[in-house]
Amino acid sequence: MTFDSWAMVITFVIAFHALLFHAMPRFSRPDILFAVTVPDAFVAGGGRTLISRYRAIVWTGAAAAVALSVLLSAPSGSEQRGWLMMAVVAGNLIVGLSAWLWAHRQARTHALPHGDARVASLVPRDTSLPGGALFAGGPFAILLTAAVLLYAYSDRIPEGGRETSAFGWLAFGALCAAMTLTLAVSLSRRTRQIAVDGMAAAAEQRFRRMNVLMLVLVGYGMAIMISAVTLEKVPAFGDVLSGRLGFMLLPLMLFNFGIAIWMFRVGQGGQRAVDPSERQKARGDATPDHAWKVGGLFYFNRSDPAIWVENRLGFGYTLNMGHSGAWLLMGMMFLPMLAATLFLF
Amino acid sequence: MPGAPLVSINLQSSTPVYRQIASDLRRHLVEERLKPGDLLPPIRQLALDLGVHFNTVALAYRMLADEGWLELKRRRGAAVIARNAPRAVDRRHVDHLLRQLGHLAAELRSAGMTPRQITAALQRIAQGARS
Repeated sequence: MTFDSWAMVITFVIAFHALLFHAMPRFSRPDILFAVTVPDAFVAGGGRTLISRYRAIVWTGAAAAVALSVLLSAPSGSEQRGWLMMAVVAGNLIVGLSAWLWAHRQARTHALPHGDARVASLVPRDTSLPGGALFAGGPFAILLTAAVLLYAYSDRIPEGGRETSAFGWLAFGALCAAMTLTLAVSLSRRTRQIAVDGMAAAAEQRFRRMNVLMLVLVGYGMAIMISAVTLEKVPAFGDVLSGRLGFMLLPLMLFNFGIAIWMFRVGQGGQRAVDPSERQKARGDATPDHAWKVGGLFYFNRSDPAIWVENRLGFGYTLNMGHSGAWLLMGMMFLPMLAATLFLF
Repeated sequence: MPGAPLVSINLQSSTPVYRQIASDLRRHLVEERLKPGDLLPPIRQLALDLGVHFNTVALAYRMLADEGWLELKRRRGAAVIARNAPRAVDRRHVDHLLRQLGHLAAELRSAGMTPRQITAALQRIAQGARS
């Protein structure tokens, strides 16, 4: 890489990380600041000052990291330059995370006590998968079609024995699809509804379903990618598919990107798009602050029956590490990787 | 979901949580905010929303099923059923409740309410009027 390209790539990565840290306080629910449940008065007053200071640290760190990367990418640099660049990027991440932890500690002094009163709606909510079971089963249908085609054209694969690994990859794809489907189902059924009625409840439900839809679409993406890669081995399909994989995945990627933008706009649980008066019945995300570890990165609460809880550091949901079901799910996520390592590589 | 019937609990209360849940449910049933045919959330879902063990909710549902208000549905929660047939009166249970009502009436008198006010309030409650 030349001096210019090194500097450009590293600057881009650092700026991206800084932007992410900059936007982080905006991701959470309106009454949660730096992973702490705080009163509205603090959000409108001292919280703003805290956010400004936090962002000042983040951008100062990013500016220092860019300056350092420009110095290190000078043409006279040593062969160790790549490692030094990575160290600069990692250093910038550490500064961002440290700023977050500092702000988290500051916010904790204003934390609202976790109440012992709890409310829930007696109306059953929709826990079905978006698009229904047939749509959710789509990735399996894609993989099955690829397997049938591969079997039908197996005699046209140039080198003998290759079809075995191709079927292996399709089986791996089925495992991945099963994994994303399990995550989608558990997310749909094992998350807590915090807002009990009105617009706030509807917004929260919409937000949850969008997360589930994203997971289902990830399953589609994996199935399409693996099917296309395996079918490329057959010359007849290889000519058609060659170079078109990115194009095939583009709509899915754009759709998921659109959902991510939408989530940024509506905030965690869809609550930033809701009128404050609609949110008054529910404070925070119904999890105690003390159960959040490392500035809101991990949630550990044995007495909480929820497997998934709303993330306090970023979008979407995170696992309750104090629940055995969460460990089971994590084990399942590693299963496809383990299978691939044992049988494919 | 405007005006959805709610269940609320307080973990600090001396009343066991399953009784608090059953009590709220019973109030909605008596006041006909939950009508025959209405479905209640599955046990696990309600337990999740309230942050309690699912056995606690199961106990409350079972209690109301024993009273003839609910029909339990496997994996689908419970359905409110018509409770037309008069049930055999459990004299001991009624006596126990009346004793509790007596204690409450005494507490209300001690808090400054007149017997007339207590009677009016009880009448309102018995007729299912919301306060």
